Amino acid sequence: MDQSHIRNFSIIAHIDHGKSTIADRLIERTGTLSSREMEDQVLDSMELERERGITIKAQTVRLLYDSKNGEQYELNLIDTPGHVDFNYEVSRSLAACEGALLVVDAAQGVEAQTLANVYLALEHDLEIVPVINKIDLPSADPDKVKREIEEVIGLDASDAILCSAKTGEGIDEILEAIVERVPEPTGDDKKPLRALIFDSYFDSYKGVIAHVRLMDGHIRKGDALRMMATQKTFEVTDVGCFRPAPVEVGSLSAGDVGFVAGSLKNVRDVRVGDTITSEKNPAPEALPGYRGVTPMVYCGLYPVDSGDFDNLKEALEKLQLNDAALVFEPETSVALGFGFRCGFLGLLHMDVIQERLEREYHLELITTAPSVIYHVHRTDGEMVPVDNPAKLPPPQKIDFIEEPYVKATIIVPNDYVGAVMQVSQEKRGEYSSMDYLDVNRVMLVYHMPLSEIIYDYFDELKSTTRGYASLDYELSDYRPSKLVKLDILLNGDPVDALSTIVFSEQAPRRGRELAAKLRELIPRQMFEIPIQAAVGSKIVARENVRAYRKDVIAKCYGGDISRKRKLLEKQKEGKKRMKAVGSVEIPQEAFMAVLKIH
Amino acid sequence: MNYGVYIHIPFCRRKCGYCDFYSLAGKDEMMEPYVDALINEMAARGRIAAEGEAATLYVGGGTPTALPIRLLSLVLQAARSSFRIAADAEITVEANPATVDLEYMTALETLGVTRLSIGAQEFNDSILRRIGRIHTARDTRDAVKWARAAGIVNVSLDLMYGLPGQTLDDVIWSVGSAMDLAVNHISVYGLTIEDGTPFSAMAESGELVLPTEEESEEMYDYLTGKLPPYGFARYEISNFAREGFESRHNIGYWSDTPYIGVGAAAASYWDGRRYTNVRDAAKYIETIGRGELPATLSEQPTRKNAMEEYCFLALRMAQGIEKEAFAGKFGEPIEKIYGDAIKNLKDNGLLTEENGFLRLTDKGMKLGNVAFRAFIL
Repeated sequence: MDQSHIRNFSIIAHIDHGKSTIADRLIERTGTLSSREMEDQVLDSMELERERGITIKAQTVRLLYDSKNGEQYELNLIDTPGHVDFNYEVSRSLAACEGALLVVDAAQGVEAQTLANVYLALEHDLEIVPVINKIDLPSADPDKVKREIEEVIGLDASDAILCSAKTGEGIDEILEAIVERVPEPTGDDKKPLRALIFDSYFDSYKGVIAHVRLMDGHIRKGDALRMMATQKTFEVTDVGCFRPAPVEVGSLSAGDVGFVAGSLKNVRDVRVGDTITSEKNPAPEALPGYRGVTPMVYCGLYPVDSGDFDNLKEALEKLQLNDAALVFEPETSVALGFGFRCGFLGLLHMDVIQERLEREYHLELITTAPSVIYHVHRTDGEMVPVDNPAKLPPPQKIDFIEEPYVKATIIVPNDYVGAVMQVSQEKRGEYSSMDYLDVNRVMLVYHMPLSEIIYDYFDELKSTTRGYASLDYELSDYRPSKLVKLDILLNGDPVDALSTIVFSEQAPRRGRELAAKLRELIPRQMFEIPIQAAVGSKIVARENVRAYRKDVIAKCYGGDISRKRKLLEKQKEGKKRMKAVGSVEIPQEAFMAVLKIH
Repeated sequence: MNYGVYIHIPFCRRKCGYCDFYSLAGKDEMMEPYVDALINEMAARGRIAAEGEAATLYVGGGTPTALPIRLLSLVLQAARSSFRIAADAEITVEANPATVDLEYMTALETLGVTRLSIGAQEFNDSILRRIGRIHTARDTRDAVKWARAAGIVNVSLDLMYGLPGQTLDDVIWSVGSAMDLAVNHISVYGLTIEDGTPFSAMAESGELVLPTEEESEEMYDYLTGKLPPYGFARYEISNFAREGFESRHNIGYWSDTPYIGVGAAAASYWDGRRYTNVRDAAKYIETIGRGELPATLSEQPTRKNAMEEYCFLALRMAQGIEKEAFAGKFGEPIEKIYGDAIKNLKDNGLLTEENGFLRLTDKGMKLGNVAFRAFIL
């Protein structure tokens, strides 16, 4: 289709503000799928995404819309992941669009997540169409939300569309606004090909499939193409668009959104943000904005049953086929044996991978507490990145340590400002700014260590503000901190998988809390188990798991031996979820105990 | 081949709050048809076991003495005509002290009963009431005296510890009372809260105030520490007897002897397979009425299960596992199967080895389930 009849847009919304429902209505209204084919929220296709109500992988769909002006338009909806972990992916999806719907809940107003994404969209010069959703709610206050959009974001909200994705009200207006207000693409299909990869996934028949937005030029089946960052070359075997299932169309040209495949076996060759160009007639310059993925959070993943190591490896390799952000390498723990150190974009990403391993690959895993990457400057002048507390060099070899800081943006009703400030200070936050969004909502900005965010900042924020606070953060810089390694000794032996790196002043308190938590989590065994928390050779806390003294079920059930055996089997089964470290049996959750102290 | 016979009488006057055995209260109208069914089942099972001899017979429950003596007589007579009962057989009947009198005891003696197992549990009436027993300490004393008067010498008492409201003093009083009565055998059971019992719900709602773990342990220590010097050897994890008064029937369970269980919910062990009868008296009566046997295989016998059961049952006995017997039965030395478990238990002081036997230490008995679990493959 000619570019004047193409509109590329995405939807920006805070979680739960109705992005997926609006997408569903658009698909339904344009007849892309009949309502019989409509499954609720078709775009969130992964089971986990449905359960959590979030989008993990971005998806795309081409809608053919017959406008009131009598013409047919190709509307490409580029769905964006809705979580801070996937910020870079969001930015690439936005770079593929000319416009965005900004969806705000009519009852809840602008949230931190919304803001972050709107700013991203504005950076990409997108035309933003404000949509106020859920106007059917009794608590809806569209005028207040309009004011918020104007005052907080600085967007003209006078022609914001009022809509209810639930009842279908306003959906036609949205479609018309996309045609009228979102600019048409302005690429040149005579110029050498430049296609932006904004997502990719692995298909077991076609290999890696790249989601692309063509800026200039065209792609036809059989073309020889090249990735400008990875220099990988391939021949196009499939080219098409999503409706929402992939449909072959034979060619794509400037302004179009679709997919391209061609005997690519590894998602690592198809990097989000990379530019595809023609092998014969390459573009002189790649599209801007590409960067490699850098994991922010690391943890150890170990099979409970050491015989599952190869299965875990295979499962990680399979997940990696579809997830270029997941990195892993084998590591050994004295306590846990053979496993993998895995890097993730953030905690959600980590959770999702872990759940998929357990659910889809039926692996029983022990996850060690997540760690950020510390920059350890050694006395010999060299800087080593450390993502595993157990690998921290001995104190005498350390000159100083730097840790990653984030800029955290918190939006909260003004009644809770004091509470937020207190929690943020406790978490070593440095106050940066405070602005009133309206008479009763405040936006606070803090700089704080990423490790505190991972640890329990968000939980505490939520609980001290009764769930009203919304948080967004982005990595800002590395700053020197007084950090020490807190070790845990069970029965006198250090358990490497339980070591953490903590702020030195907090070490005694964290040690006490951790030891107390472990005492709760570690069941009584045949002997007493001393739990010690230590910084270097200094013991900062001590607890005891008392030995269990008596465990005898005396009745012999009138000769019903099978019943007795089954009972013993069941008890034994309960013990299987434990990991024997030396002579001590430790339940899985103990390794995450460091995150569960409150 | 010698075997044991177990007869289950599920009837009770009232169900105790902690009991999860198969038993029925207030179903007296079912007694007659149930006894008929028992008689029929014994006749059928007796034919299968024709070539062996029953060395022990045990009537348990429920409360066997909840049956009118007329019906219990029919049961015992049918057992004699269905199974070849050895001349020196041990014939035990479980009795609730509130359901017997001198006449009842005399009748039992006449029927050849050689041993009475009396559910005394406690000698403090307020605790007995609290746990739902219908008898008093006085009833227990009377029952023992009547048994003796009727000529039944071999009398065992069940004692419980860890009961709601019970203190160490109560346990000391129980042991003293049992000594006064000069019984020959004592079984000691700790209260366990089983799922689905009234006590389980009460424990959850906080209505049931149980002794602390430490208090309960003191009671256990007292019982297991005091009974041996009083002349009651601990021949099994929860059984104590004067020499020569060990329960032969129960020893059979722990030492791989076959047994036939008749009645609802009764378990059997025959030809290396374990069976259970249907756990419902009405269905039991119905099944027998159709001329079918009510037993189903508990599960497919496997070598693994057989080894596990052999070990944890043998470990209940003071003498423990005879290594040569294990090797003889399974064709492999026990260390080959359980080497790690044995070493670990020995290292932790739960298990010891002497003269070719692996047996639990006192600590091992106290942590019996821990040791047994180690033998689950």
